[in-house]
Amino acid sequence: MGLKNLAEKVVEYNARLEDGKASKIKPGHVEKVLKKLRKKAAALESEIAVADTPDRKTRLEKKLNIAREHVERAEWLLNEIGGAGGA
Amino acid sequence: MTRYGLPVAIAALLATFWFSPDAQEIAAGVAIFLFGIRMLEDGFKLFGGGTMERVLESATGSTPRAIAFGIVSTSLLQSSSLVSVITISFLSAGLISLIGGVGVIFGANIGTTTGAWLVAGLGLKVNIAAYAMPMLALSILLVFQKSKPLRGVGFALGGLGFLFLGIHYMKEGFEAFKDQIDLTQFALSGLLGLVVYSLTGMVATVIMQSSHATMVLILTALAAGQISYENALALAIGANIGTTVTAIIGSLGANFQGRRLALAHLVFNVVTAAVALVFIAPLRDSVDWISAAVGIAEGDYAMKLAVFHTIFNVIGVVLMVPMLRRLIVFIEQRIVEPVPDVSRPRYLNEAVDAFPQTFETALRKEVQHLYENASELIMHGLNLHRQQVYTSDNLAETVRQSRRRLELDIDQDYERRVKTLYSAIVEFTTRAGDKRLPPDIAGRVYALRDVASDIVQVVKSVKHLRKNILRYTTRPQGAVTGLYDDLRTEIARIAVEIRKLGRAAPEDRSALWLDEERAQIEEAAQKATGRVDALIRSGDLSPAAATSFLNDSGYAYSAMRDLIAAARSYYIERDSALAEVERILTLDDEEIAEAVTQRNGAAAQTAKPTVTKPS
Repeated sequence: MGLKNLAEKVVEYNARLEDGKASKIKPGHVEKVLKKLRKKAAALESEIAVADTPDRKTRLEKKLNIAREHVERAEWLLNEIGGAGGA
Repeated sequence: MTRYGLPVAIAALLATFWFSPDAQEIAAGVAIFLFGIRMLEDGFKLFGGGTMERVLESATGSTPRAIAFGIVSTSLLQSSSLVSVITISFLSAGLISLIGGVGVIFGANIGTTTGAWLVAGLGLKVNIAAYAMPMLALSILLVFQKSKPLRGVGFALGGLGFLFLGIHYMKEGFEAFKDQIDLTQFALSGLLGLVVYSLTGMVATVIMQSSHATMVLILTALAAGQISYENALALAIGANIGTTVTAIIGSLGANFQGRRLALAHLVFNVVTAAVALVFIAPLRDSVDWISAAVGIAEGDYAMKLAVFHTIFNVIGVVLMVPMLRRLIVFIEQRIVEPVPDVSRPRYLNEAVDAFPQTFETALRKEVQHLYENASELIMHGLNLHRQQVYTSDNLAETVRQSRRRLELDIDQDYERRVKTLYSAIVEFTTRAGDKRLPPDIAGRVYALRDVASDIVQVVKSVKHLRKNILRYTTRPQGAVTGLYDDLRTEIARIAVEIRKLGRAAPEDRSALWLDEERAQIEEAAQKATGRVDALIRSGDLSPAAATSFLNDSGYAYSAMRDLIAAARSYYIERDSALAEVERILTLDDEEIAEAVTQRNGAAAQTAKPTVTKPS
């Protein structure tokens, strides 16, 4: 999955922000979400380590992939917000 | 008022005005004062922007804090009635506890005594109208501003101006009135005086719906020498009982908790009044002693009345706080929680309608109630038991074991337990448009209505599925049973994930977790289609059964997507900036499809494609 759609979403968000139809995102907001996502990814890793069946392990690994994708996206967004001084 | 109440009241006022033109000034003073209170309330609602409501939510964690909140808020708003009504509303919405609410009411009774000090200490001693005029002139400039806080300040300033003006006219009216009639000739001494004047104070407060206005009337009449000090004390005690009527009226539209609070208010004020009446002589002595100690002149009866008003309310709180737990038990026994009727709304009532925060919270809880009803129906519709599903270590196996037909009239249960609640939710949310809710709250309210709609759609999808679930899963019939079991398993799995999300601590959970389930649904949908093709080719699935399954899987995957959409919307961050972050980070449909393709590609590289025959 690329970050193209994510970048488009940020552009769309900025347009809404300029129109006064969205709340301003600060780095702290992204960091808060990122913290939750990292915690979830860590919890999935722990669950995988003790998974008792291959099916369950596979399923959890798929979940972990999505969780890692979210973490990557959040890190990118944090960089965008921090770098530009606001989204 | 009853049908005859209003004409009688108007006729009585007109007759009084005819008899005594000076009574007009007193009545106008009361009217202006009451108008001032209303304006002050409106101002705080605008100016506060929900601050009071937010503070109330966190201030009721302990009894001392709740009492302190009641004192401060009532002192600021100069209206114990408004504080009572807000508290009833918050209690009805489940935002605060009954014990916390009772604490606020206790505090409000002390806070309301600041009004007597304001009038006795300032209103009667200085030319208060001189302050009122510039306040009113300035307030009108602010009231016409676009900014809500400025308008709020304008209303509050204007309200205070009208309060002062009302006091001024009452004072002037009594001064002029005493030249015509000497009301002290009606003074009654002894027990009879106590009872008659207490009842008069109570009735006056019920009519004016404000103990504050009654107290001002008593103080101005007392200052003008139109009533005796003893009778003024009895009037003040009566006013304290009369003020509970506002809370009782406010609780009529509330749920059982709101009614409990109104009863607590009544018990507190009646007990306090009874104690004050019984110990009136020592109380009066202690007022004299305190007054002398703080330098209040012997003949300053207005200030002494303020001291008395404060003492007897403080004594009431001091007496009742140690008995608070017993009071709560007594109230809970008197007003019993009704046996929950799942088919009726639990949280949507008139009392929660008054404030944006309670409006949203009550709606949120009602949507949760709808989901509880719906999830049970969904599971039963799939021939599954919720508890078994929620506690299962191996969901697929639990589903395979669930073959016994659950007796269920899904249409009837849908009408009774889902549609009635949904209708109430829709009706309630349509009122949001009339309320000029802040945009962020209005947005969340409409989103909650959509959540309810999604939940209803899920139940409808399961209704469609039910017939073939019974046909193919109550006894093993080969491949088709396996296919239907997989659908049941996937729906159950989503219910489990939603439950996990709901049970997670709000500071830990994120609606983004549901993206994992979205990917799983799309992967399962793709695999099911491929599997059906393979089973038809191998002759393990008849074309008729395949057609039924393909139709039903449409309903099933639609139900899963609706469930996820509902949960995403319900559990999205309530802070609007955090919600924006989650909306940006969530994977869109294209990205979910891409994720599924990548998974399938990875799986194809590691394993040979196989067609698994269901057991």
